[in-house]
Amino acid sequence: MTTDPTFVTKDLVSVFARQTLLDRDLVRQPDRPVVRLLPWLNVVTLGGRSIIDRGVETVRPVVDELRAAMSEHRMLILTGPGVRARHVLGVGLDLGLPTGVLASLMSEEAKQNGHMIAALLAEDGVSYLSHTSVAHRLAVHLSASRAVVSNGFPPYGIFEFPPAVGKIPPHQTDAGAFLLADAYGAARTIYVKDVDGVSTSDPASENGGGQPELLPRIGATELLAMNIATLPIDPIVLELMATAKHVKEIQIVNGRTPGNITKALAGEHVGTIIHATRDLPT
Amino acid sequence: MEDADSNGALQSLLMSRSLSDPELLAASGTAPDYAILPEVSVLKIGGQSLIDRGRVAVYPIVEELAEAKRSFQMLIGTGAGTRARHAYALAMELGLPTGVLTDVGAAVSGQNAQMLGHLMARHGVPVVGDTGFGAVALYIAECGAAIFAGMPPYDMWQHVPAEGVIPPYRTDAGCFLAAEVYGARQMIYVKDEDGLYTANPKTDKSATLIPQITVDELIDMDLPDLVIERPVLELMRNARHIRSVQVINGLRPGLISRALRGEHVGTIISAQ
Repeated sequence: MTTDPTFVTKDLVSVFARQTLLDRDLVRQPDRPVVRLLPWLNVVTLGGRSIIDRGVETVRPVVDELRAAMSEHRMLILTGPGVRARHVLGVGLDLGLPTGVLASLMSEEAKQNGHMIAALLAEDGVSYLSHTSVAHRLAVHLSASRAVVSNGFPPYGIFEFPPAVGKIPPHQTDAGAFLLADAYGAARTIYVKDVDGVSTSDPASENGGGQPELLPRIGATELLAMNIATLPIDPIVLELMATAKHVKEIQIVNGRTPGNITKALAGEHVGTIIHATRDLPT
Repeated sequence: MEDADSNGALQSLLMSRSLSDPELLAASGTAPDYAILPEVSVLKIGGQSLIDRGRVAVYPIVEELAEAKRSFQMLIGTGAGTRARHAYALAMELGLPTGVLTDVGAAVSGQNAQMLGHLMARHGVPVVGDTGFGAVALYIAECGAAIFAGMPPYDMWQHVPAEGVIPPYRTDAGCFLAAEVYGARQMIYVKDEDGLYTANPKTDKSATLIPQITVDELIDMDLPDLVIERPVLELMRNARHIRSVQVINGLRPGLISRALRGEHVGTIISAQ
C-alpha cells in the first residue's frame, strides 16, 4: 500500500525527513549545546497563597524590594493564584469539570494577581504581559523596562495533562515558571514564598522532639526521595529539573524576611538552593 | 449524604493543604467526571503521513469526512509533517531551545489546518483558531464538525526531552488531550499505515502489524520506533475519559467511517 507509486510525498530535505521523530537513535544530538536566549534574565516567582494573599503587609515590602532591585537586575516577575484558585477548583471539581478546564480557571486567578502586582509597579515602567507577549516579545519589553510581570501558570489550559492521581492540574505556577526560565536560559530562578526554604520533617519533631531542620542546599532527586509532606515547591519541578537544559539550580527564599529577594538576586545563598542532581560530580 | 460528606472533606482539604498533598489529590479523584461533548469523535489527520502527500491522499479523505459528518460529530485535528521536520532540524542546528521548536511546529500544524479548512469550506466546516475553542460547541452543533491545529499551545512552556530538543508533546498528544478534556466518544488517529507495527514498516520489512495492545504491554515492549508519540501512552494511563485510541490507515477508502462506527479496522491501543 505505502509503496504505491501514485502516492508521492512532497518531502523537504532535512535530517528528520520521513522520520517518525520517535526513533531514539535518530533524535539524539549529544554535543549540540542549546543557546541561552536571555542569559541575563532573572525569573522571580511570587507565591499566590504564601505572599500575595497575605495582603498589604506582606506585598508592599516585597514590591518595594523588587522596585529597588530593578536598577541592578532585569526581571520577569511571575505570580501564583492563591486562595481564589482553590475556591474555583472546589466549584469546578464539584461540577465534574475535567482537569483541562480546571487549569484554565485557576490560571485566570494567577493572571489577576499578576495584574495587581504590575499595577503597583506601573509608575516604574512595569506592565503585565500576556502569555503570548512573554513567549514572543519578552526581549523588547525587557529592553524598554527593567521588569515585567506575567502569569506564573503555563498556557496549557484545556491541553493540561490528566494527572496520575485525582484531577488537580499538575502544571501550576512553580512548573510554569521553571519551564519558562529554562526555555529562556535564565540566569536565576527564584521562588519567593513564606517559609525560609525547604525543611526536613524531622521524625523526632513529630514525637515532640527536635525542630525541623532547614536544608540550605539539596539535590532535586534526593529531595523527591525524602517525600517531605510540606514541600514549599510543587514536586513536579524537581522532576522537570532532571531534563532541563539550563536551569540547574532554583532558590526558594522567604519573602517575609526583608532583604532576602535582594540577596538572592545578588547571588547570595539565602533560603534553600535545589540543584539538578545529575550534573554533580559523584 | 455520603456524597455531601466526601465533598465537604474535599473542600476542607482544598483550603488547608498544599495542592500537591497526596490526600487532597486522592480526594479530588472522587469528584464526578462530566463529559462536555460526549457525542464528538476526535480525529487526527496526519501531516507527514497524509497532508504532505497532497491531493491524491487528501481529496478522498475530505470526501469521506464530509460524508461522515452526516452521521457523526467530529473535531478534526491536523498534524505537522515535513516542514516541521525541516524547521526542527534547522532550529536544532542553531542551538534553539525546545520552546522555540514548539512554536515553529505549531505554525506548521496551523497551516495544515488552514488548508484542510479551505478544502472543507464547501461542506460548512470551520477552522477553530487559537481562542476559538470557546465557540467549539456552537461549531459542532451548527456545522457537525470543526478543524483545529493539533499542536498543543505549550510554546515556551513545553517539557524539555531527556535527549535532544525536539518537543515531546506534539500533535498526537494535542489531539488526545482535546478528546480527553471534552470527554469525547473516541479518538482516532488517521495515518498512512494499517496501524501499529513491531518496527517502522517503512524501513523494516520484517515489521508485523499489532491489531490490539494495551499501553502497559506497549511500554514493556519498548519498541525503538512507534506510530504514535510516546508521551501519549503516559497520558492514556492517566486519562479519565479516553481509555482507548485507534490508529487507522487513511489511504484505505472507507476506514474512517468504519472506525467512527466503532469497528476495529486498525490498531486499538487501550489503557489498563
